Amino acid sequence: MTAHEARSGGRLLRGAHRTLTGLHPVLESVLAAVLGLLVGALLMYIWGYDPWRAYWALFRGAYGGSYEIASSIARGVPLIFTALTFSICVRAGMFNIGAEGQMYVGAAAAVCVAYFKLPPGLHLLVGIAFAAIAGAIWSLGPALLKLTRGVNEVISTIMFNWISRFLVFYLVAYVLVDARQGQRTVQVPVSARFPILVRGTDLSYSVFLAVAFALFVYFLLWHTATGYEVRAAGLNPTAARYGGISINRTILLSFALGGVGAGLAGAATTMGLPPTYAIISGLPELMNLGFDGMAVAMMGRNHPIGILVAALFFGGLNAGGRVMQFYGSNPVPLEMVRVVMGAIVIAMAIPELVRVFPAIARSVRRLGGVFRRDRATEREGA
Amino acid sequence: MSESSSRSAEENGYFLRAEGITKIYSDGTVALREATVELRPGEILGLLGENGAGKTTLTKILSGLLPPTKGHVVSPRGPVRFSSPREALDFGIGMVHQHFALVGTFTAVENVALSQERPLAPLQLAQTRAKIEELMEESGLRVPLDVPVEKLAVGEQQRVEILKVLSRDVDLLILDEPTSVLTPLEVDELFRFLRRLRDEGKAIVLITHKLKEVGSITDRVVVLRKGEVVGDVRTSAVTTEELAQLMVGKALETRAGRAVELSTDEIPAHAPQRHREERGPGVLHVENLSVAGDTKPVAVHDLTFDVYGGEIFGIAGVEGNGQTELVEALTGLRPALKGIATINGRNILGLDPRQIYKLGVAHIPEDRWVLGLVLPFTLAENAILGVHRWDEFRGPLSILRWRKINAHVRSLMERFEIQATGPSAPAKSLSGGNQQKLIVGRELAKDPAIVIASQPTRGLDVGAAQYIRDILVEMRDRGRAILLVSADLDEVLALSDRVAVMYEGKFMAVARPEELDREKVGLLMGGVSVGGKA
Ligand SMILES: Nc1ncnc2c1ncn2[C@@H]1O[C@H](COP(=O)(O)OP(=O)(O)OP(=O)(O)O)[C@@H](O)[C@H]1O
Ligand SMILES: [Mg+2]
Repeated sequence: MTAHEARSGGRLLRGAHRTLTGLHPVLESVLAAVLGLLVGALLMYIWGYDPWRAYWALFRGAYGGSYEIASSIARGVPLIFTALTFSICVRAGMFNIGAEGQMYVGAAAAVCVAYFKLPPGLHLLVGIAFAAIAGAIWSLGPALLKLTRGVNEVISTIMFNWISRFLVFYLVAYVLVDARQGQRTVQVPVSARFPILVRGTDLSYSVFLAVAFALFVYFLLWHTATGYEVRAAGLNPTAARYGGISINRTILLSFALGGVGAGLAGAATTMGLPPTYAIISGLPELMNLGFDGMAVAMMGRNHPIGILVAALFFGGLNAGGRVMQFYGSNPVPLEMVRVVMGAIVIAMAIPELVRVFPAIARSVRRLGGVFRRDRATEREGA
Repeated sequence: MSESSSRSAEENGYFLRAEGITKIYSDGTVALREATVELRPGEILGLLGENGAGKTTLTKILSGLLPPTKGHVVSPRGPVRFSSPREALDFGIGMVHQHFALVGTFTAVENVALSQERPLAPLQLAQTRAKIEELMEESGLRVPLDVPVEKLAVGEQQRVEILKVLSRDVDLLILDEPTSVLTPLEVDELFRFLRRLRDEGKAIVLITHKLKEVGSITDRVVVLRKGEVVGDVRTSAVTTEELAQLMVGKALETRAGRAVELSTDEIPAHAPQRHREERGPGVLHVENLSVAGDTKPVAVHDLTFDVYGGEIFGIAGVEGNGQTELVEALTGLRPALKGIATINGRNILGLDPRQIYKLGVAHIPEDRWVLGLVLPFTLAENAILGVHRWDEFRGPLSILRWRKINAHVRSLMERFEIQATGPSAPAKSLSGGNQQKLIVGRELAKDPAIVIASQPTRGLDVGAAQYIRDILVEMRDRGRAILLVSADLDEVLALSDRVAVMYEGKFMAVARPEELDREKVGLLMGGVSVGGKA
C-alpha cells in the first residue's frame, strides 16, 4: 500500500467515524422509540392482544393518510410548546416541570378574549399575547423563589402545577363559565381563533406558531449572546460566572421564556382546537400535555429541531391510539399508548443507550464461549 | 495483587506491555500510531512528549479507561482487556489523572473510601482514615481530611488523587503530570516516595513536561511524538538536549518563529530586569484586603500591595495559602471581608466579573476545568467566554457573529499552536495542554491593562510554556501590569520584577528576585521569616 492510499483510507475511516458520532443522539432516540414499542408489544402479548394488528391500526391511524397525518400534527402542536418549555430550562441547567400549570394559566388567559371585541387577526394576536404573558408570569413564581430563597425548582414547579390546576378549575367553574353551557367556559370568538389549516381536522394555523417558536428558540440559543449565556450557565455555572455571565439573569430568562412556551400551548389548545374553542370543566383537553412535553423534549434531545420530529411521533401515538382503541374485535385500550410513552422515557434515561447493544453482544459472545467450552469438555469427557 | 503474579512478571521482565496500539478518537483524531511500550517492575518510566502527543491517551488505554482502536495490552500471562478502571485497579493498575476524578462534595477520606470498596459494601471510614494518615506520613503528601474536596486548592486535590491511588496496593502506578501543581518541596517528597515504591518492585509511569524531573527520577524514558514512539532509552544514556530533540522532531530550532531553549529546564531570566524607576503608573492597588476562604474564616489577611504597569508582580507560595482567594476577590468571584482594591483608580470590590473585565482585566484561572472552560462547548464557544458581548463578536439583536468568531479562533489556534480538528471541536476533546493554551490565548488576546494569571503555564510543554512566558514579558514591556501566581518557583523567580512570598494569607516578604534564592524562598514559603525583608 502506498502512503497515499493509506492516507485516503484514513480519511475514509475518519469520515465514517464522524458521521456515526454525529448520528449518535439521533440513533439513541430512535432506539428508545423502538424499545418503547417493543415493551408495549410485549405487554399487549401478555394480556392477550395481538400487537401486530394493534400497531398496524395505530400506524394507520397516525400516518395512514393526509387526514390522519394532519390529526397527528395537531396533537403534536401543544407538545412542541411544552417540550420547548422543558428544554429551554434544561439548557439553562434547571429541571422545570411546571409547563403543565403554566399551560393551564395560559389557556385561561386566552379564553378571556371572549370578553371583548377586536378586529379578526388583531383579536387573535391579543389572545396569543395574553396566554404568553400569563404563562411567563406563572413561571416567575418558581424562578423568583429559586433566586431569592434558593427553593429547588423541581419542588416549586410541582407545587405551582397544583395551585394552577385548582385555580383554573375554579375559574372554569365560576368565573369564565358560559352561562348557557355550565360544563365549559365561554367560547373564544371566531375573530380570535386560529384558522383551520386542513378542513375536517383539528389542525389549525397554530402549527405555524409552534414551528416559529421552535425556530426562534433554536436561533436564540445558538446564535445570540443571550442564548450562549444560557447554555454556558447550564453546562458549567462556575465557568459562566467566571465569564461574566449573571446566573440569576439566565435563570430568570429561561423560566420566563419557558413560561411563554407553556402559555402558548394553552393558547393553541383553546383558540386553536375545534370544535369547543373553550376550556371544558375538568380540563380534559389540557390534562398531561405539559408532562407529555417532557417526554417529547427528552426524545428530541432538548433540541428544538429534534423536538419538532419527536412531537410528530408523540402526536401520532396519541392520534393513532384513538383509532387503535376501536379497531378489531379485541381493541387495545388507549392506555397502552401511555405505556409505550413511559417505556420510551425510561429508555431515553438510560445513559449511552447505543452502547447497550455492543455490551449485550459482548455478553452473548461470552456466554457462547462458555457454552462452546462446556461442549468441548463434554466431548473430551466422552 | 498476589505474590505469584508479580514474581512471574519479573521472570518475564515486564509487568504490562502495550503492543502496537493505535487510537483513533471518534472525531477522527489519530492520537496514537502503533505505539509499543513496556512497563517493567522496579522501574520508573518517564513518558515525554509535546502537548497532544498522546501521553494521556496511552495511559488511559493502559488503565482501562479507553479501548484501543488497534493493538492490545498484554501481561506475561496473556492479553488483558479492561472494560473499566475498576477492573484495571483489581489487576493492580492505578492511575492519577491529569484532571481529577473526585466527588467534590465528599471529603478526602470519603473519596478514598469510595474508591476502595465494592459497590454495596459499607464504607470503612475509620479504617480508611488510619490508612490515609499512614500514607501521608510515608509519602509526605498532606491534605485536610475532613473538608469537601471541592473546597481544596487544586494542588491539594491532586494530593488527594495520589493518596487515593496509593491506598490501593497497586503494582503499576501511572501519574499524569502530578508535579505541575506541586511545590518543589512536595515534588521532592513525592519523588522520594516513588523511588521507595520502585525499590519495592512496583512499575511506575510518570508523565511530566519538566525535563529536569525526568533526569532526576526516571530510569527509562519513552518519547512520544504525534502519537508515535520515537524514543525508548535509558535515562542515563541520554542528555536533556537529546530528549528535547526527540520530542520536537528536528534539531532545536525555531518554534512559532523563535528559538527555544530546550537544553535545560532553567527558565532563562528575562534580563534586563527593570529598575523601579522605570515602571509605569500603578494599575492595581490593594489595601488592607481580607478575604474569607471556604474552609478558613480568613484566608487573606490584611494584604496591601500595588502592581504597576510594566512590571510582573509574582506571588510564590504553597498552594492553599490564600492565593486562590486573593485572585478570586480581585476578579469578582468572591466577596472581600474588608479593604480596598482598585484598578486604575476605580474600585473593583463588589463588582461582578463582567464589570471588572470592562476595566481591562484578563484572568487566567488556576482550574481550567472548573472555571476556565465549558468542556462540552466547542473551541469557538470557549474562545469567546467572557468576551462574548464584545462588538467584535456580537452584532445587532445580540446575534453572534460566528464567522468572525471562527476566524478569531483560527488565529488563536495558529498563534498559540492549539492542536484541534477545528473551531467546532468540543473543548473536552483537546489534550490538557491544548486546553490550557486555549484559555491563555483567549485571555491574552484581550490585550488587557492587567493580566491576573494563576499557573499560566501549568501543563504546557517546554516550548509552549516558554512561548507564553515570552508573551507575558512582551506585554510587560508594553506597559501592561501582570500579577503572576504560580506554584512553579523557577517561573516566578525568572519572570517577576518583584516577588511576594505568601504564607497563610500574608506576604512573608516582597523582594526583587535577585535578592532571593530558592532556599530563602523555600523557607519563607514554609512560614519561616528570614532577615532582610524588602
Ligand atoms: N476525547 C477526545 N476526542 C477527540 N480527540 C481527543 C480526545 N482526547 C484527546 N484527543 C486528541 O488526541 C491527541 C492526544 O491527546 P492526549 O490527551 O493524549 O495528549 P497529551 O500527550 O496527554 O497532551 P498534554 O501534554 O497536552 O496533556 C490530541 O490531539 C487530542 O486533541
Ligand atoms: Mg495529557
